[in-house]
Formats: sequence, structure tokens, C-alpha cells
Amino acid sequence: MPDFSPDDNKLALKVVFYGPALSGKTTNLMQLHSLLNPERKGELMVLETRDDRTLFFDMLPIGLRGSSGLDLRLKLYTVPGQVQHDSTRKAVLSRADGVVFVADSQPSQQDNNAIAFGNLEENLEKVGLDIDTLPMVVQFNKRDIPDVVPEQELQERWADTPWSPLVMASALRGDGVIESFQILLDRLYTQIDDEFHLAADHGISRRIFVERLSRSSGQGAPCA
Amino acid sequence: MRNFEDDPTLTDLLSRDQLARLNQSLSALCSAPVELSEQKPGTDATPVEFNLETVGWLSGAGSAEERQAASGIVAFLMMFIAKYRLAANLHHDATEASYAELQRQNEALKESEARYRELSDQLQEKVDQQVKVINKTQHELYESARLRSVGQLAAGVAHEINNPIGFISSNLRVARDYVKELGEALPETSANEELLADFNDLLAESIDGTNRIASIVSDLKTFSSIDQADYTRCSINQLLTSAIHLVQTEYQHQLDIVERLNEVPEISGHPSRLSQTFFNLLDNAAQAIRDAEPEKGQGRILVKTQVQANEVQIIIQDNGCGIPEDQRAKVFDAFFTSRPIGSGTGLGLTVARDTARAHGGQLQLDTREGTGTRVLLTLPIN
Repeated sequence: MPDFSPDDNKLALKVVFYGPALSGKTTNLMQLHSLLNPERKGELMVLETRDDRTLFFDMLPIGLRGSSGLDLRLKLYTVPGQVQHDSTRKAVLSRADGVVFVADSQPSQQDNNAIAFGNLEENLEKVGLDIDTLPMVVQFNKRDIPDVVPEQELQERWADTPWSPLVMASALRGDGVIESFQILLDRLYTQIDDEFHLAADHGISRRIFVERLSRSSGQGAPCA
Repeated sequence: MRNFEDDPTLTDLLSRDQLARLNQSLSALCSAPVELSEQKPGTDATPVEFNLETVGWLSGAGSAEERQAASGIVAFLMMFIAKYRLAANLHHDATEASYAELQRQNEALKESEARYRELSDQLQEKVDQQVKVINKTQHELYESARLRSVGQLAAGVAHEINNPIGFISSNLRVARDYVKELGEALPETSANEELLADFNDLLAESIDGTNRIASIVSDLKTFSSIDQADYTRCSINQLLTSAIHLVQTEYQHQLDIVERLNEVPEISGHPSRLSQTFFNLLDNAAQAIRDAEPEKGQGRILVKTQVQANEVQIIIQDNGCGIPEDQRAKVFDAFFTSRPIGSGTGLGLTVARDTARAHGGQLQLDTREGTGTRVLLTLPIN
């Protein structure tokens, strides 16, 4: 849930990258760190253990300021994908405002995708969140690997879910990463604008919200 | 409650000692002393930013450039401290959550264990109940098989005896008439008269004997109720009279039985089982009298029937030996007997009580050792 402190005029939001082990959650975050040039960007904190596996989480804070002086922060987290770190996953997932589900496109990993998705659903329920109302994007990563499950098949499989269409990505190459993030920002905006009147009270329109938080390093600042 | 992801303050990240040491080290690097503090100390201060958050302010130093450089070092340091803090806090949160979850599961487990224990107790209770039912059914089966065989034997004997006793009785009456005619034809001598009188007495005694046989046979038939296998309207008084006759026969007509049978309505019942019950109770009373101390004087059995409210009450009371206190609790137990092995089955009172219950009634026993026993059998009128 959004954390708003009226004293500091500060709104903190939390986005969690969820998915099976080795699906590329940390890679997504690293790419966002290097590709994005949001209004404000903090240090990428990577807490990985040996073998480059995430043990606790990774975190990247970004932010922007509204015309009212609103200090809007977005903290992007990844969870450890390995099955045994479920309690850590749950702790990171609690109070999340949005989720990017990073699935693995390799045919051999489809079962793990399903298990991880089931785990997400279960943990969301445990931390008191509803998968049907939580802003979420489903990304199929590793499209650069040959012989992945064809996009059409995946899109058809997910066609009847609220998360269709899926985003195809290759986080390693940087493809689809910003796109996934932008779609999530868009869905997130719908949710929080209702509650915090971002456009009306703070001069943050949907376009400003998405563009300022996700503009890439090469892009110039859009006019406010 | 603070969350693991809450932005840390300077005091969260550094202890007072660590802060002092950092200040010292930074001061050594710069041309003038440097001070890092959480609150902005004055106008000449550079913010230390960490993760979009101003965690502290640097003041002092030789110039703004020096402060800027020092601030960069501090921010760089902060990242590693914060990383550790975040991981530690998360670990703490996750462990606490796991522990809470474990406790919840433990509670749930305890609850389910209690539920299963209760279930197991209930099952044991059910098993005990079933065992009781099986025992009871077994006794009833045993008793009804015995009754049936006794009944069949009695019916067979009664049938076989009925015919000869019929013609013996009628022949004896004809013989008495013949003796009368013979007496008229014979000369009247004193020897003849004596002979005829004796002959008449003999015949009278024989007729009396046959009458008694006929009545025993009739009682046997009533008792075995071979013709009435199921529930029917029974006259309690009639069944009691038959049972009394049978007990008297058993004890050579030596018993002093007082009958106070008031008029009671017929009730629906199982005549043979009721007869058996009456016989058992009377037999117990008779044995109690026999076992009583001889100096107590003449034993007596009182048999009484009466109507009370909507029930027929049957009272069989004796002034015999009574039942010792330590045996009272067991008298209704199946196969319990105080009598020598072989002389009693230990089922008499068990069957009596079961029969009373089967008829919707009850059996009450009042007894005092050395004084006597009073059995009250109540059967509903229906």
C-alpha cells in the first residue's frame, strides 16, 4: 500500500519484481538502473550472494517531484526466486503497490513459471493483497535464447487473464525492460491517482508520471 | 512498528562512536575539522544524500569543495552500511514472520491434536457402548435359547402327560361309581364296609393327585407359553399364580406364600419372559428364606400386585437372609452369583431387569442383610 506522509509531503510506492529462480529479475533491475534516467535516481543496491544468486533482494529507488512539492518515491525491489527463500519473498512482497512478474521463456521452465505464479498468488493473499486488483505486468524474459516457447502460444495461453497482452523481453539485451516498467507505471497510476489525486493536487498527470519515471538516458526531459 | 524498508536515519546507520570516528577521519582529510550531523547545523552545510534521502549534513571543512568531496565519501559509505542494515532488518522481519507462522501452526497442531484426542475418547466410548450392547444381546440370546428349549420340553411333556392324565382321571371317576355300585351289591359286613371306605379314600386321593398333575401341566403350558411367541395381552395375576405354583412344586409345597393380588388390567407383554422373571424372583425369595438364620422363625413370601398411577406394581417381598452390602452393586451383573457353582447361572436378576426394561418398566431392589429383600417391579399399562 502507498506510504504517504503528509508532514513531509512524501509518497513512497513499492514495486516488486517477482518470478521463478534465474528468470532475470535482478537483470531487469540492473537494466533499469543503467537505461533509465528518471528525474531522481538512487543507488542500485544489490545484495547477492556467491553464484550471483539473490539472497535477500535488490533495490533501486527512483523518484520525482510534483508541482506541489510532493516527493514521490518509487522503490523497485526484486525477490529471491529460489524456493527456500519464501519467507524473504513474503516480507519483500508485503505492502507492495505493483508487481512485475518475470517469467522464463524456455520450454523447460514453464512448470517453474506456474509454480512461482501460484506462489505469488498465495503470498499476496498472506500479506493481505488481492492479485485481481494489484497493478501487475507479466513479462516473458529470455527471448534472446533460441527455441523459446513461441510468443503466439504464450499470448493465447494468457489471453483470458487480466495481464494480457504479455510483454516479451530480453533483459540481458535491454529489450522490453522499459516497456514492462512503463505498462506497470500506467496501471499503477490508475490505482494511486484515485486515492491521492496526483493530477489534481500535485500536477502529476499520467503522462508525466510514466515519462518522468521511465525516461531513458538518451531522451531529453519532456516539457512539464 | 518500523518496517525493514523504512528509510534509515543517520542514527540508525551509525552509532555515536562510529560517527565520532568518521568525523575524525574526515577532519584529518580536510584542511579544517568536519562535522556530520543529522540536523542541518547552519547555512554553511552540505547535504549528504543517500537513496534520494538527505540523511545528514556536513559542516566545517576548509571549503565547499572539500565538503562536497567528504559528502561523496560519506554517501558511498552509507550505501554499504544501509545494505547491511536492510538485509539485517529484512532477515529479522522474515524470521519473526516465520516464527509467528510456526507458532500459529503449533497452535493449530495442538488444536487438531486435542480434537483427535476427543474423537478417540468418543470412539472408545462408542466401543464400550457397543460392547455393552453385544454383551446384553448375548445374554438375551442365551436366555431366550434356554427359555425356548425349556419351553419346548415343557410343551412336549405337557402334551404327552395330558392324554394319559385325561383318561386316568375319567377312569378314576368311573371306578368310584363302580365301587359305589359294588358296595350296594356286597353284603353289609363290617369288613366289607371298611374295605369300601378305604377303597373310596384311595380313589379320592388318586383323583386329587390327577387334578394336581393336570394343574401342573397347565401351569407348565402357561409358563412356557409355547403358543405365544410374541407380545400379547397378559394377565399379570394369572402369570404370577402359575409361577407361584411352579415354585411351590419345586419346594415341595413347603413355602408360606401370601398372595395379595389386586385386580390389575391386562398389559401388553411377553408372557414367557414375564413368567420367567416372576419365577426367578420367587425362586430368589424362596432361597433367601431357606438360607436365613433358623432362629428367625418361619420364613414368608409376600406377593402383591396393585395399580399405581399408570403402572402395574408387582411386589415380591421376603423376610429371608437379604443381600450383603458388598454384593449389592453386583447383583444385576450378568453371571454374578452368590450361590455355589452349578446351582445358579447368575442371570436371574439380570434377566429380570432386562425384561422389566424391555417392557418399558423398571426393577427396584431394597434389601438389608439378615432382614429380607423387597423387589418392586413396575410395568406401564399400555
